[in-house]
Amino acid sequence: MSGRRPPRQTPRAELDLFGTAASMAKIEAPPPPPAPVVSEYFDSDAYPGETAQTAVTVSTLTQTARDVLEGAFVPIWVRGEITDFKSHRNGHWYFCMRDRGSQIKCVVWNRDQRSIPAPPDDGMQIAAYGRLTVYPTRGEMQFAITRLEAEGDGLRRKALEVTRARLEAEGLLDPSRKRRLPRHPRIIAVVTSLDGAALHDIIAVVKRRAAGVRIVAVPAAVQGDNARQEICYALDQVNRWGKADLVIVGRGGGAHEDLSAFNDERVARAVAACSVPTISAVGHEIDISICDLVADHRAPTPSAAAETATRTRAELQAELRDLSSRMIGAAQTLIVGGEQVVRRLGREVASNASSHVVHRRAAVSQLAARLHALSPLATLSRGYAIARGEGGATLSSTAAFTSDMPFDLVVRDGVVSARVERVEKSA
Amino acid sequence: MTFEERLARLEAIATELEGDDLELAKALALFEEGIENLRAASEELAKADVRVQKLVERVDGTFRTVDARE
Repeated sequence: MSGRRPPRQTPRAELDLFGTAASMAKIEAPPPPPAPVVSEYFDSDAYPGETAQTAVTVSTLTQTARDVLEGAFVPIWVRGEITDFKSHRNGHWYFCMRDRGSQIKCVVWNRDQRSIPAPPDDGMQIAAYGRLTVYPTRGEMQFAITRLEAEGDGLRRKALEVTRARLEAEGLLDPSRKRRLPRHPRIIAVVTSLDGAALHDIIAVVKRRAAGVRIVAVPAAVQGDNARQEICYALDQVNRWGKADLVIVGRGGGAHEDLSAFNDERVARAVAACSVPTISAVGHEIDISICDLVADHRAPTPSAAAETATRTRAELQAELRDLSSRMIGAAQTLIVGGEQVVRRLGREVASNASSHVVHRRAAVSQLAARLHALSPLATLSRGYAIARGEGGATLSSTAAFTSDMPFDLVVRDGVVSARVERVEKSA
Repeated sequence: MTFEERLARLEAIATELEGDDLELAKALALFEEGIENLRAASEELAKADVRVQKLVERVDGTFRTVDARE
């Protein structure tokens, strides 16, 4: 062998040392015998590049280097610090990763950026997954990255901050944008996965509390690649349908990654664009999602969302009772005043009662009769009392009382201040 | 009228009744309207169970709701 290095056994078509794959392909069929390799194809005994006469081209050198490197390394994770980050016009990211002693040029192709939440910043400590290769045009070694994670979840946080800042600048997070939720929504749309726990929890809570409510599920994947798109589409469907009084959008609790759809800018915009009030229920007690920030109301869990959305029948009845007693009280005041006016007018016109007075008298007695039929005072005169809490709300159940709570007792001829001593629910 | 609208109307009626300078005839009309709203709202409360459905979009972009199997 006289000091000669043996020729590489790499298949020739792959190496293509002289850029003549086509012509060699012709020679190669039928397949050559295994050895001796070189002498079969070249007149000289010299292997490519051994002498000035057999010098290889630069392209051959760099491309061979690339093939060798790519063949030698499986894709691996590498960690280091980012420097010289540039997002090029062509959409690709270029930067260096380095540590104390070394650095390597890196690229993230446009198509590989989708799985990376945000472009990294200089100085970030990252771990990058990629393949070592050679960039022949420059003859440089290059690490082509397809996955990238920053220390301390930095990229995800950065992406969140960027999205949040953008939405904030547009005023979408403005508290004045928050709409009031309806007191008693008749139709509640729920944008979530049909087989998820969220829908199940919401149905259970609404059934337990409210009545006369229609829950209309609008199916959407809440995790995985299609989640963003499907949530946006479902919200759009709710808008086009136009019958819901309220939308709950969310999912049950999950791992951090699972919530990413609810941090997506398009999803946030779809929530903001919703034509009816929205409750987000992303099911994560600790992290607040972008969706939470945009929605009219944030609930920590789907169950909590259902509780926020609905009043119990008892609550609504109490509300109606309060309104009714306000009306009746006001009417009573009016009657008393009215009767005085009628009496005065009556005295003034003495003998010849004008039709005006007759008319007013009729109106007053009509109102009084109507009132008597409805008035809780009629009940009070029989010895019943109404318990009222702070703000005048009627206290009609043991649940409304707590120990030592002050309250008022309205009786036939006045109000008695009282305090709870003991609450005992009847069996 | 939806339940919401009835509640809002009742609130407005109560406030107006509590105000001064109200013609009796007007007061009576308001009161009657209030009672009617109260009745309708209470009826609505007494009504119906919770219903669970699914929204389905037809090819032409219109919608229907189908009851969920349970």
